[in-house]
Amino acid sequence: MYCNQYRDAIQELADGTLGPVRRAELQTHLDHCDACRALAADLRKIREAAATLDHPAPPAHVWMQVAGRLRQEGRVAAAPSQRRHYALLAIAAALLLSVGTSLWLLLPRRGEPSQTQTAGSAQPDGNATQSDTVQSITDDLKVAEQHYQSAIVKLEQAAKNNDGSIDPQTAAVLEKNLTVIDQAIAESRTALKTEPQSQPARDSLFDALRRKVTLLQDTIALMNEMRKGNSAGAAQIVEGGNKS
Amino acid sequence: MPPAAQPVLAGRAEDMALIERCRRGDLAAFEEIYKAHSGKLYSLACRMLGNPTEAEDLLQEIFLSAHRKLDGFRGESALGTWLYRLATNQCLDYLRSRAARSNQVTDTIDDDPALLDARSRGIADRTVAKMDLERAVAQLPEGARAAFVLHDVQGLEHKEVAEALGIAEGTSKSQVHKARLRLRALLSGSGT
Repeated sequence: MYCNQYRDAIQELADGTLGPVRRAELQTHLDHCDACRALAADLRKIREAAATLDHPAPPAHVWMQVAGRLRQEGRVAAAPSQRRHYALLAIAAALLLSVGTSLWLLLPRRGEPSQTQTAGSAQPDGNATQSDTVQSITDDLKVAEQHYQSAIVKLEQAAKNNDGSIDPQTAAVLEKNLTVIDQAIAESRTALKTEPQSQPARDSLFDALRRKVTLLQDTIALMNEMRKGNSAGAAQIVEGGNKS
Repeated sequence: MPPAAQPVLAGRAEDMALIERCRRGDLAAFEEIYKAHSGKLYSLACRMLGNPTEAEDLLQEIFLSAHRKLDGFRGESALGTWLYRLATNQCLDYLRSRAARSNQVTDTIDDDPALLDARSRGIADRTVAKMDLERAVAQLPEGARAAFVLHDVQGLEHKEVAEALGIAEGTSKSQVHKARLRLRALLSGSGT
């Protein structure tokens, strides 16, 4: 109880906001109390370590996607339409190629044992509670999936409005990559039908949906940059695509 | 006018000028805001969500939402604080929806006597490794994690943390203090 009265002061000492009078009073206590001295030292260490933690910068493609969506929504001035820059096609191809090479990660690992949530496995007889849980998860999944699906439909429409800024060959590579993602989505859905509570199948489905959204957003952002003839902007998208 | 208030007001005036340009559809103005604040918000989202890919998606949503809500920004608080509030709300909403999807129960820090006991096992002479601290921060309950990241990692004052989280200043102090005690307990058992 005696030490408890210094608890706030020790925290304020770590905050650097303890006034001189209370500080002197606390110091007198710390000089005689090993436990409080250790606590004060630990909190200072945590505070100092926290202040030195890294602040990672967001990848460049995030801004390109924000800008692309603001243009799509008509919230900012539309990019001026300029003639196509053929040099940028190589950049587009590089982006799509880099996405394509990482898509194998989406394919479900055949032969892996499936993991299910403990909520359901605790009730082997399939009683009403388990059935309710399964139904609840299925409903939540449907809602989340609908959000993704709605975004994908809109993005697909925008991506299909290719006015020639992406050449047929690059568009074919894009189509192929989307097919692989669609295959992963279909396989995850099949797995979920069999095991609605399977966490890996659920993760795999949402990962594939997220990747499809990202690929479509990147494609639209790239189309915008190519229409503008902005090679630096397109290169930023490629850089982002290579990192993802 | 106190001298310290002058740079604050000048900063607010600059913010309002940028926002006015954004309202007129000037993308370059919004890019300036993005460049000035995206790093801090991305860092916050990474620590709150514990997943850089999800943090990227959320950062995008934060800035799109900010652009849509710019009309409602009146400059009562600094633009950075307003963005922090928007970002923390989005992070917390996202975490709750993720927890609901996976049937997890969100945790809170109660007044666990073991945590508050000054005599509990401490870090002793060991240094706190960044990776261990990152791992321990990820285990904090979301409210305490947000307050700790904003105050101890991002360097906001308790008053700013309170504004960003929409809580009282005393609650911000209490959340950060409890977070440090929980971290101490986690780090003492982490073998750092």
